[in-house]
Amino acid sequence: MPGIRHWLARLRAVVRRDVVAGEIREELQIHLDMRAEDLERQGLPRVEARRQAARRFGSVALHQDRGYDIRGGGVMETIIQDLRYSVRLFWTHRGFSFVAVATLALGVGLCTALFSVIHAAILRPLPYPDPQQLVRVNVVVPGRGEAGEFAPSLDDVRTWRADQRVFRQIAVDRGASDVIVDTGYPERVPVQQVSEGFLEVLGVAPSLGRSFSAEDTRREIPLVALLGHGYSQTRFGGDRGVLGRQIRIAGESATIVGILPAGFYPRVAVWQPFPRRPAGFESMRGTGAPVIGRLQPGLSRARAESSLSQIVDVLDTAHGKPAGTSVRMYSHYDETVEGSGPIVWTLAGAVAAILLIACVNVAGLLLARGATRQRELAIRASIGAGRVRLIRQLLSESVMLAAAGGLAGIVLAWVSLDALVAILPLALPENATPSLNVEVLAFSVIVAVFTSLLFGLVPALRLSRVNLNTTLAASDRRSGAPLSRRSGQWLIAIEVALGVVLLAGAGLMIRSFARLVSVDLGYNPDAFLTMEVSPLDPSPAVAAQYYPALVEAVRRLPEVEAAGAADQLPIGGSRRAGFVTVPEQQPIRVDERQVLPGFFEAIGLPLKAGRLPTEADRTAGRPLVVINELTARRIFPGVSPVGRLLPLGKEPPEIIGVVGDFLQDGARSPVRANVYFVYQGYAELRRQPFVVFVRPRGAPSALVARLRDAAHSVGPRVLIDRIRSGDDFVSESVTVPRRRMVLLGLLGGIGLVLTVVGIFSMTAYAVVRRTREIGVRMAFGATSGHVVRTMVRDTAWPVSLGLAAGIGGAYLTTRVIATLLFETTPHDAGAFAAALATLGVSAIVAAWLPARRAARVDPVVALRSD
Amino acid sequence: MRKTNSDQLHGTLDMLVLKVLGDGPLHGYAIAVRLEKLSKEVLQVEEGSLYPALYRMEARGWLSSDWSVTDTGRRARFYRLTRGGRVQLAAEQESWARLTLAVRAVMGS
Repeated sequence: MPGIRHWLARLRAVVRRDVVAGEIREELQIHLDMRAEDLERQGLPRVEARRQAARRFGSVALHQDRGYDIRGGGVMETIIQDLRYSVRLFWTHRGFSFVAVATLALGVGLCTALFSVIHAAILRPLPYPDPQQLVRVNVVVPGRGEAGEFAPSLDDVRTWRADQRVFRQIAVDRGASDVIVDTGYPERVPVQQVSEGFLEVLGVAPSLGRSFSAEDTRREIPLVALLGHGYSQTRFGGDRGVLGRQIRIAGESATIVGILPAGFYPRVAVWQPFPRRPAGFESMRGTGAPVIGRLQPGLSRARAESSLSQIVDVLDTAHGKPAGTSVRMYSHYDETVEGSGPIVWTLAGAVAAILLIACVNVAGLLLARGATRQRELAIRASIGAGRVRLIRQLLSESVMLAAAGGLAGIVLAWVSLDALVAILPLALPENATPSLNVEVLAFSVIVAVFTSLLFGLVPALRLSRVNLNTTLAASDRRSGAPLSRRSGQWLIAIEVALGVVLLAGAGLMIRSFARLVSVDLGYNPDAFLTMEVSPLDPSPAVAAQYYPALVEAVRRLPEVEAAGAADQLPIGGSRRAGFVTVPEQQPIRVDERQVLPGFFEAIGLPLKAGRLPTEADRTAGRPLVVINELTARRIFPGVSPVGRLLPLGKEPPEIIGVVGDFLQDGARSPVRANVYFVYQGYAELRRQPFVVFVRPRGAPSALVARLRDAAHSVGPRVLIDRIRSGDDFVSESVTVPRRRMVLLGLLGGIGLVLTVVGIFSMTAYAVVRRTREIGVRMAFGATSGHVVRTMVRDTAWPVSLGLAAGIGGAYLTTRVIATLLFETTPHDAGAFAAALATLGVSAIVAAWLPARRAARVDPVVALRSD
Repeated sequence: MRKTNSDQLHGTLDMLVLKVLGDGPLHGYAIAVRLEKLSKEVLQVEEGSLYPALYRMEARGWLSSDWSVTDTGRRARFYRLTRGGRVQLAAEQESWARLTLAVRAVMGS
């Protein structure tokens, strides 16, 4: 094999071309001279000797060229030539290059960014070792259906852990809630409560300090805490001396014993041991705190379920509990990605369609340009460019385009990833951190390069089948064109079909969203403000004093029309369920709320019967409630409930009024049975703070500062979490559907633009190619209208075909998003019609614009052109 | 890796050039003269085609070349066998011997 010296020699030949060529010329000349001298010595006259020497040698130029090809640059030089020529072409056809590169970049960039997110959300949502061994466990009491499924007790967990036959490690995860943490700077942050063993279940160790022990979970010993990485950075600047320091969690002093690694539950600020509850709690099943375990390596979920069921049954009967108790296990992975499926696959499909449209676009562009270059290629072939050389030339042009498109795509992917994560219409799993995925990137770039190469080569391959003479002699740009016209039309049809599917999906999302936000919630969200505020001292006595005083202070503000409070936000608050017992009926589940007078006036729930609570009711000394219409209908059908006792709890409250229904959790939720207790200070300890509801007089913006002052003026030190308008949290409640609509709308729009660009450029090239033909037609009397019609008709056929195929495709694929739609069928005629109309009209306009240009052609100029 | 020539003319020419240079370095014209003596046919077509062949063999690493001065004091480019060239020559000779042996066996002489 030629070594490095050989390539150095070649490089020298490229760089110092003249020197090498000169050497060859000189060497050949020496040969000729020597031969001539020999012949002369043999007696030939000088002139004849030279003549004969030259004859015997053959063509000096030819051998010199061949020699240079071998010794000189050869392959390397032609590559450089090709590249130089490609760059020149790239620049000469700036418009073409820009469209091609931008198209590829969009396809590659979007595809990569989105699939990177999907990778983080679906394919690797649990960045722990052996995530398939993680399960959630429930205990099942026989014969009670779904109601018989409970979370295991902490005693169960500890028994199973010690047993080691099924679980390698197991723990209770109470989950996170927002709690006031004071590190010298009080703030409400997410605090997660977990039992010992939780970190070990996931296979994570603190980056500093220790994790929780079983001892830490006992109520009697001083509280300890772990800090999340992010929180330790913001509050302590990552100081490693933080171990042993004291912080306050919900008023209770806690010692920091460790810091968790970066990226682990990034949203959680502080971890505290669970349960730290009074005696007896640890043996209780069904406390609502999920139990998560790591199965022994190699143990399947089904086998783990059956062997643990046996263990539980034996132990339960030994302790005198009823026999037949079993367990059920749920894959932690499945539960983490649950619900993400439809939207993820929809987005994946949409983005794949965009990549496909992009590739089809580039294919169309290259085909169209290839067709116009048929003559150029024929000329180059006729003056000696070999087939291989031509193919190499076209190849390097395509590679150039693909490389530029791919590079731009990488940049786009990089730039758009964060933006995409920000508007992603799905809740990313706790620990998923999307980053640019190299494999996806490679895939997209390869698709782009492959497409460019394939369709860039078609003209060259076709040329090699075409007889040079006929191509040149025909002197007509249509030679070789029918094929490209037909394939161009196919490409248009494919693009249109994909575009229709994308647009139909986007249209469905938009329609669904419009319906979602126009739903009557039962109250007017833009008419009130909410203030979430809580005293730093969490004792119930402080809260019982504070909130009524605060509401009164707020009510006194001149800008306030009405003010009240409730222990829940209308949307997204956690519920407290009670059961109303009616004779001869199943217990009716109701949601219980505590309210301070003024709440109904502030939020705007209309009074339907009876009266609204007043300040006097707060000292009534007996429980008073207001119920909503649904509760009234269910429990007191046909009679007025006002003045009656509601059969709820140990001390049935008196119903003083009935108010309108509202949609508890936003538009997609059902109306629920609601019972509003007038707060009298007797409610048991509630960790959840009250929310103050304020109906302003006039513009609410001026009120915010006044509300803050009021919150601080009443007495105890307080923390104001946020002041929001009703609109804010209603709009937050539709965040996910809105993002879905925005993202799919965006993808549909990009698909539309790409399709239009593709049709436009293909038609434009067709016009250029057929300039002469058009000239002939016009010379024979065709009107410009006729010419436009002819050109547009050529595009109209594939567009119609594409529209038909697209509707079929949309009909089949939009089922996927059925579960994402609100009161909209996946085959909504309006959305489909809008998609058809938008694409059809855009397509015809895209074809008509270049066609009109064709019609303006001066026949004389056209006939002379070639 | 040893390349064997598929092209008969190239193969023969290459083998002869290697053989000629086996006796010592020569310049292009001298090679042509030797070849003429060995075989009338090889360079019958065009003498010039010797040079691309020489360059090709040099590119393959069989030959090396240098500008030098002839006995008569003329400047010329001299070609010599490299070690690779010698190995190639030996290989060519061996395969040639095998071929002639085989042909002789078939022809039954």
